[in-house]
Amino acid sequence: MLDALRFEWTRLRTLRSTYWMVGSGLVASAAIPVVLGLAASDEPLHADAVNISVNGGASFVIPFLAVFMAVVGIFATGHEYRHGTIQPTLTALPQRSRLILAKILTVTALTAVATLVSMAINATVVLVFWGEVPGLFDDPVRSALLGYLAYNLIYALVGLGLGLLFRGVPSALVVIFLMPLIIETLFVGLTMVPALEWLASAVKFLPFTAGEELMLTSPANFGPAAPDFDFFDRWASGGVFAVFAALIIGAAWILFKKRDA
Amino acid sequence: MISAKGLHKRYEKTVAVDDLSFEVRPGVVTGFLGPNGSGKSTTMRLMLGLDHGGGETLFDGERFTSIRRPMNCVGTLLEAKQFHPTRSARNHLKMLASANGIANARIDRVLDLVGLGPAKRKKPKGYSLGMSQRLGLAQALLGDPHTLMLDEPTNGLDPHGIHWMRDLLKSLAAEGRTIFVSSHLLSEMQLMADELVVIGRGHMIFNGDVDQFVREFTTSTVIVRSPSADAFVSALEAKGASVTKGDDGELVVSEMEIGMVGHLAFTEGIELTELSSRSASLEEAFMSATGAAEQFVAEQPIQTAQTPEGAKNA
Ligand SMILES: Nc1ncnc2c1ncn2[C@@H]1O[C@H](COP(=O)(O)OP(=O)(O)O)[C@@H](O)[C@H]1O
Ligand SMILES: [Mg+2]
Repeated sequence: MLDALRFEWTRLRTLRSTYWMVGSGLVASAAIPVVLGLAASDEPLHADAVNISVNGGASFVIPFLAVFMAVVGIFATGHEYRHGTIQPTLTALPQRSRLILAKILTVTALTAVATLVSMAINATVVLVFWGEVPGLFDDPVRSALLGYLAYNLIYALVGLGLGLLFRGVPSALVVIFLMPLIIETLFVGLTMVPALEWLASAVKFLPFTAGEELMLTSPANFGPAAPDFDFFDRWASGGVFAVFAALIIGAAWILFKKRDA
Repeated sequence: MISAKGLHKRYEKTVAVDDLSFEVRPGVVTGFLGPNGSGKSTTMRLMLGLDHGGGETLFDGERFTSIRRPMNCVGTLLEAKQFHPTRSARNHLKMLASANGIANARIDRVLDLVGLGPAKRKKPKGYSLGMSQRLGLAQALLGDPHTLMLDEPTNGLDPHGIHWMRDLLKSLAAEGRTIFVSSHLLSEMQLMADELVVIGRGHMIFNGDVDQFVREFTTSTVIVRSPSADAFVSALEAKGASVTKGDDGELVVSEMEIGMVGHLAFTEGIELTELSSRSASLEEAFMSATGAAEQFVAEQPIQTAQTPEGAKNA
């Protein structure tokens, strides 16, 4: 297993895109507190603002870092097929489950480190503009930031699973962008049509929408026309997202063991 | 030593490999020969557990997938261009080496060995097919393995490169290693291999040494030229030979020894201007062995003047 981890770590390190993705994620996330600081550093900070600043707008705009780390996850398996390296890889490391486990562990570790670094950078930015980061280590911000870490990890693993499931990069990218941004948004939008209100009870099972509950300090606002979606609590909603990731990875893993390389 | 037993692989409709069993001995180069699409690559993938199918292959008694750090035992080159376009040759090998406990010094050593030393920090995106094959060979040699499996390694190499590859494989075999190398070119195998495994449409056609293959699949014929050829034909046929006329008016005699043909000319009092034997070249032997098993049969080009290739004077 150590050999597999060494392999994956070398694979990640020798790929330029890894640096680009992590770097872009950190910069895009840091841009949010910088913009907030420039626009509103004279206003007092409340919990929502601290949360959004430190998570880089993940719970408000787009989860930048999660998206970039998901691409790293997609590349972890998708690149192997796209560039035909899966055969050399499996002749260097023929135990397939060990290889997948190593990929999961390295992507998870890298995402965790990148997320913690990003939060540290963003907290520092807040400190520079406001001179303090109120309530960083107290609930609700503390739980929301732990949730943000979990959200990024699950998001990256969904990417890894999709890359392995589709055995390529483009289709996995399409799904990971289409699903949260278009399909789930459309679904939530449909519940606002009075005749389709009965769909509302299913919203709490939409994986990406449920996953966002992990990062919130106050209930999500879907607009005045939205029915009550009756979400599970933070960690149970995160569980919905995690189950989704586990299903994708599980299916991909089983297929990977069965299929020809 | 590689021993493959009962290898079988079917894709939806085609049976690509049908019950192949063979052994590959150490100390010699074993050629794996077959026309395009005959199942060579599929067989190699099966042997390495990359494809799932029937049968079992043991490398010195172990299945490939249960070998710990397999690159140190079995080196492989499957297809060219199996690397990330922006990861340098050195980093590509470093990645594979890290899974097999191979030191960095060895990476530089094999890159120099295959002649990629000056290009090792370049991105393989710009590599020619020949350079890609060299990188693939470096990958195969990385763990200094006792067994090598190479799928058409000379594809894309220039004549000088092919010569170099041939010498390299022979010297590796002479060190006692097991070398299994595929090709669709018999002429190449004739120069490189000592033993042959020949397949057509996934079926075993021949397994043995190269000379034996030639003997089994070549029929030698006798060429006769004579001013009174027509008279001689009936004499030959009366003695049981079968005779055809060549394009040039020469007689092509089969099913009769050259000495017997000469003797018959003498007893019949027929003047000969040529009496020679012709054995089919290895290429022709290959064609006759695999012809029926050819997968993709192209239309024959229109024949123009034919020179008797491989003719040798008796
Ligand atoms: N992945 C695949 N899916 C379906 N058919 C395949 C696949 N790979 C090879 N084949 C078929 O199997 C046969 C053997 O192919 P291959 O092993 O590549 O032959 P060779 O290497 O001798 O040229 C061919 O008929 C080919 O079309
Ligand atoms: Mg082939």
